[in-house]
Amino acid sequence: MALLLKTTRFVESQIDTFLDIVSDSATTFQLAIEDYLAGRIDQFEERLSQIREFEHRADDLRVSIERFLYERTLIPENRGDVLAILENTDEVIDNIKDSLLQFSIELPQIPEALDDLWMQTTRASVAAVEQLVFAVRSFFRDLAAVNNYIHKVYFFEREADHIGERLRRQIFGMDIELSRKSQLRFFAIHIEKISDAAQNVCDRLSIYTIKRQL
Amino acid sequence: MIFIYLLSGLFLGWSLGANDTGNIFGAAVETRMLKFKKAALIASIFITLGALLEGSGPSGTLGRLGSVDALGGAFTVALAAAITITVIVRLGIPVSTSQTIVGAIIGWNFFSGRLTDYGSLLTIASSWVFAFVLSAGIAALLFYLVKPLINRSRMHLVEQDMLIRYALIVVGAFGAYSLGANNIANVVGVFVPVSPFKDISVSGLFTVSGVQQLYLMGALSIVVGIYTYSHKVMRTVGKDLFHLSPITALIALLAEAIVLFLFASRGLYNLLLSLHLPTIPLVPVSSTQVIVGAVVGIGLAKGGKNIRYNILGRISFAWIAAPVIAFLISYLALFIFQNVFEQTVQQETSYIFDRISITEIDDEGYSTDALAMVNGRKFTTEQAIYKELKAQGELSRDEIVQIISIAEVHLMQVDVPKLIAAGLHRSFSEEELLLLRRYQDRKFRHKWQLKETLALQPEFETYLQPETELQKNHNRIVEGKLQTLYRSFRVE
Repeated sequence: MALLLKTTRFVESQIDTFLDIVSDSATTFQLAIEDYLAGRIDQFEERLSQIREFEHRADDLRVSIERFLYERTLIPENRGDVLAILENTDEVIDNIKDSLLQFSIELPQIPEALDDLWMQTTRASVAAVEQLVFAVRSFFRDLAAVNNYIHKVYFFEREADHIGERLRRQIFGMDIELSRKSQLRFFAIHIEKISDAAQNVCDRLSIYTIKRQL
Repeated sequence: MIFIYLLSGLFLGWSLGANDTGNIFGAAVETRMLKFKKAALIASIFITLGALLEGSGPSGTLGRLGSVDALGGAFTVALAAAITITVIVRLGIPVSTSQTIVGAIIGWNFFSGRLTDYGSLLTIASSWVFAFVLSAGIAALLFYLVKPLINRSRMHLVEQDMLIRYALIVVGAFGAYSLGANNIANVVGVFVPVSPFKDISVSGLFTVSGVQQLYLMGALSIVVGIYTYSHKVMRTVGKDLFHLSPITALIALLAEAIVLFLFASRGLYNLLLSLHLPTIPLVPVSSTQVIVGAVVGIGLAKGGKNIRYNILGRISFAWIAAPVIAFLISYLALFIFQNVFEQTVQQETSYIFDRISITEIDDEGYSTDALAMVNGRKFTTEQAIYKELKAQGELSRDEIVQIISIAEVHLMQVDVPKLIAAGLHRSFSEEELLLLRRYQDRKFRHKWQLKETLALQPEFETYLQPETELQKNHNRIVEGKLQTLYRSFRVE
């Protein structure tokens, strides 16, 4: 049996590694925002370069998995769905990297009063991504559990939207220049977009799960 | 000459290979779980093995329905069935080889004035319905068993896919084996009684009997069908008729393979018999109906929402249309072959009601009062006698059939060397052959005379009123051997 499944084990471990990277990226993103808000810019830059590395590795893995599945004609019936899930999940890392990159380029001045809401939005978005990773893992191994995780992704996405809205209201209620308000809003929306990307993957995932059900 | 006559059987084999392999591997190839080349190779090997090793059971049942006794007749019957299949498949409807061949054989019975054995017809026709229901039941049961298993296994999608792929190969091979065993009777079954092939010894290691050679040729024609045309049919079956996921395809295929095997395996039949369990008749069933049954079973197990009733309707229509069309084409073709091409499509047979046969009829306990109208007369067809006796209103159909078999003139001379030369001695034990040698050169006018002579010995004794399945099976075996002797010892 082990010999028969030697080929599949390799691609399984690649998929698992890919999902580990997504999860690590989300955690690193949260740490990077914490560093930024605490003014540890050097550490923040280090996190950004880590995420850049994650993004490269995730891209390489995705292409490798794609090629492997096609070359060995594996999971012909679900191949398109699996590749779509991987591509969309990869976009989540892209969003995370883009967000941090903007921080690194523009270095926005975030008033201390916003720190708490800023972190809450970040945590909600990161939680959505982490639940997404669970959902995708379950899609491969435990179909019955997928919907639970999808439900949680939706929950955290709504939570991120809700806190994000409060954050933006607070930004525009502050006595600072309009240009700065506009810049801060842009960054707040950028963080919310991460959970939106996680939700987009789940929209597809729920359909693919129905397709796979016996 | 024999090969020219066999051509129609080979044509039928080709169409079976082209059509029915789709029922086995259609879904697997269409879902790209298996490549066509691999599926074709597995199908070719295992259909051939099934035909050679277990093909004799269903052939016997088909033979009882109507024993086509001339090569020309067998050629025409097989041709009629093949034409019917080609026509109906052209209309885009999957069709059953079993039903067309049965329709064509009944066409021969009607043309040659023979009475159709309604008992065998009923066994065959009810088996078609039973096979469909059984397949649906097995598929639904498998679905209920597999679903929680898959859900609980927590196997990775890729791993699961790989295992299903291997399972499709193994179950596909089993399905192909069962198809070969069950359906070879449709292809060359009509040629078995008139097979001119002799035994061939392969380097003294093993012997290939004449009937096996016939089966081998049939199997080869199926293989040609698989490689030349089945890819297209697989696409139709797998895509248009029922699009299945790999797991449901595997369940449907397993159900189909089990059902085909149940209706083909003599080993299983004997095992059930020895365990005093109810047996399943060895009948060629339709792989199309069986796979449709399996898909319906899975559909019902899923809640019955995904069943495409319009397609089922089209298929069901073909189940009725196929035998009827085959019957008509067979009858017409036999007429043309006999009268235009002057070919022998049936042996000249006569039925005589003389002192000897009337005495035997009386001895067998049938009322001879109704025989006044036929006493001393000679008939050439069973239908003519049936009409005469039926008009009297005293005898049942079964009684008339028995009376006809007593009156049938079938000149025979015991000739054991002839039996050996044709390779048919393998069906007999040493003791039986020894017994037959004692009657060497003895002549018989009626089949029952030979039967009664041999029945005096324990080797050929039968149960007068068999009660158990075991006793019935014993009688069937002895009857099969006697049929071989009737054909082999026949003299003009």
